Amino acid sequence: MINAMEETDILVIGGGAAGLAAAESLSARRRVLLVEREERLGGVLLQCVHRGFGGEQTGPAYAAGSVARLAKTAVQVRTGTHVLSLAPDRTALLSSPRGLERVRFDRCVLATGCRERTIHALPVAGTRPAGIFTAGTVQRLLLDHGPVGERIVVLGSGDIGQIVARQLVQSGRRVVAMVEQRDRLGGLARNRRDCVETYHIPVLLRSTVDEILGEGRISGVVVRDLDTGRRRRLACDTLLTALGLVPDQDLCRGLGADLPDWLALCGNCDYVHEMVDGVVREAAALGAAWGETF
Amino acid sequence: MEHTDVAVIGAGLLGCFTARALTAFALSVTVLEAREDVCTGISRANTGIVYTGYDTKPGTLKTALCLQANRDFGRLCRELDVPFSRPGSLLFGFGPRSERVLRDKFAQGQRNGVPGLALLEPAAVYAREPHLAPGVTLGLYAPGTGTVDPWALGIAAFENARDNGADFRFCQPVLHMERTPEGFRLETAAGTYQARAVVNCAGLQAAAVRELTQCPAVRLVPSAADYLVLDDTLAGFVRHILFHEPEERGKGLTIVPTVEGALLIGPTDRPQGEAPAGAVSRQGLERLRRLCAQVVPDLPLEETIRAFAGLRPDPFAVRQEGGQWVPTDRSIHSFTVLEEEGLISLVGIKTPGLTCAAALGEHAASLAAQHLGGPGRNVAFSPERRGIRRAHALSEAERDALIQQDPAYGTVVCRCRDITLGEVREAVRRGAVTVDGVKRRTGAGMGRCQGARCMQAVAEVLAQEQNIPLRSVTKDGPGSPILLGQPGE
Repeated sequence: MINAMEETDILVIGGGAAGLAAAESLSARRRVLLVEREERLGGVLLQCVHRGFGGEQTGPAYAAGSVARLAKTAVQVRTGTHVLSLAPDRTALLSSPRGLERVRFDRCVLATGCRERTIHALPVAGTRPAGIFTAGTVQRLLLDHGPVGERIVVLGSGDIGQIVARQLVQSGRRVVAMVEQRDRLGGLARNRRDCVETYHIPVLLRSTVDEILGEGRISGVVVRDLDTGRRRRLACDTLLTALGLVPDQDLCRGLGADLPDWLALCGNCDYVHEMVDGVVREAAALGAAWGETF
Repeated sequence: MEHTDVAVIGAGLLGCFTARALTAFALSVTVLEAREDVCTGISRANTGIVYTGYDTKPGTLKTALCLQANRDFGRLCRELDVPFSRPGSLLFGFGPRSERVLRDKFAQGQRNGVPGLALLEPAAVYAREPHLAPGVTLGLYAPGTGTVDPWALGIAAFENARDNGADFRFCQPVLHMERTPEGFRLETAAGTYQARAVVNCAGLQAAAVRELTQCPAVRLVPSAADYLVLDDTLAGFVRHILFHEPEERGKGLTIVPTVEGALLIGPTDRPQGEAPAGAVSRQGLERLRRLCAQVVPDLPLEETIRAFAGLRPDPFAVRQEGGQWVPTDRSIHSFTVLEEEGLISLVGIKTPGLTCAAALGEHAASLAAQHLGGPGRNVAFSPERRGIRRAHALSEAERDALIQQDPAYGTVVCRCRDITLGEVREAVRRGAVTVDGVKRRTGAGMGRCQGARCMQAVAEVLAQEQNIPLRSVTKDGPGSPILLGQPGE
């Protein structure tokens, strides 16, 4: 399989909101191959079951719309396929249960989204028990397997943290506190209203978690007040972290410091967007720009 | 009651290597481990350094074993199919005290017969390690220093011992041991065993286990160490294993470029009481950060992906005080290997314990064999073990061929470290029963996202392969469920 070199005009890596929109807009004039690691297209939208995408749609509904539009184009789609590396000679190495293959392309759109910053990057003391998750991990687990814990502390207050906190409260779990370093909550105003205020989630501002307690499963955290230095224990069986998102540009690592002109970053792997609408607008604009220049 | 020729207590690095060495004899071997998996105690947190032997006094067991072990380490890792690198080490300091220490260690190393040692002037030190802070006064280069993944090594010894017939029993802490006419009777939480000889490799519990039948001789006072792991984006930042010899008393900084390409920073040396067992201490983290700023100021600590802590078994002599045995302040610097009528105890084995694990295992096994009257060799014994196929270490053609054989190797589960579903499944088939067990065998969850993206997939494989519900999957044994609470409540 490795010997067969497939060729395409444009390789789009990632089948989330950005990749779907970019592939759709580029497909009018070019051969496009879209590669997605999961079995289903849609990316993180699929686990965002709340409303608020493109108006009042849920993430999966919004994704379904994008996928339906893509189906009307000539874009070739390969799901369950991982891009292992991008090479300066404009080839990509793909891995799937079918084998390895190398694809040659003229241009490439990187739409790999972002990953969540973890608590382990912070200088946090204490044990490393079970029950510490990023918000995205919890969101996916909730969808696939149900609740992760009963008493939850949320560290960080971005949109995902607030939305997942609401999901947990709605499923009968108790959010003990949302702990935020800044003097106000992060995220969109509508999430603060619809998640934190509506569900009366206790908020500790100007505070952080600086120690994890418990053996086996987490039994609590030590919350430090950044102004007074005072520490206090909060009992919990789950710590959910919403410490921000980092664009996932891992595939650029082999390409040098200056990105080659045949590569475009699109969506959250370029910079983290507040709303999906911005992602889609930029992806469509890329289609227009590249359509004219080559 | 089950009968065995030799019972090994504890399945850390030492227990696994002892079991491996015992299976080379025509003996039945049963390993009793308190936890659910191998290498969960002292062996869990380790710098993974393979020392050359210039640190220890001439003429001691430690020095003899360390030199031999260092020489043989490449062969050992080839036999066991464990990644091993020998970047060499550089010990350096910033003043007169460290300079004296370095010259003493150089002289000691020469006496011990450590090959290739060289004292380096500052210019030569900076040529090798440009990121060191200004003011280095002297360096001691040891080309033979190497590094290995401690888990990979211990798990390889475990699998090899098991393949050669050792019977590993997990979740069986030894609660009681007594001498009988035939040898020893041991009771665990799950059964009773009759053994003709016992090798005690119980790590932090080794003194306590020994005292089930013997008078106290050595007591262990655990000390703790904190470590930081930096992302593999920093591969190449340092080229050697770096040892900083501080001017003031206490432990300096150690930086290890690991075989997997990450940077391991540590360990601080502190009383265990500063934090609960196995917990990272706040003060320890601060010390590490301060030392980094002082010694390698441009090291980007924001690339930290993990902090963890480990325990060391510091051995002390004991004395009687009011009818009680208590540890004195007399620390024991040598390895303590006691042979007491068929009870062989390895007590307080710390640095260079990992380096010497195979040699100590062989030593303990030969003592047990002697006690049992010199049994014959096990003719079926093979020292060779093959590791899990690592997709990311293969050529494109090999990787493709592997996927054709088993399509699960085509699906990447851990994106940070490029680890496939095939590897995760194989880890479970070889004995991983927890998410951390998979991590120790494959590296899945050790990258920059620390399992945020692969933990669920790993847990799902554990559930499928063991035919258990996902709610029974644990992070690292009983009491550490990944999912808590019932669905649909």
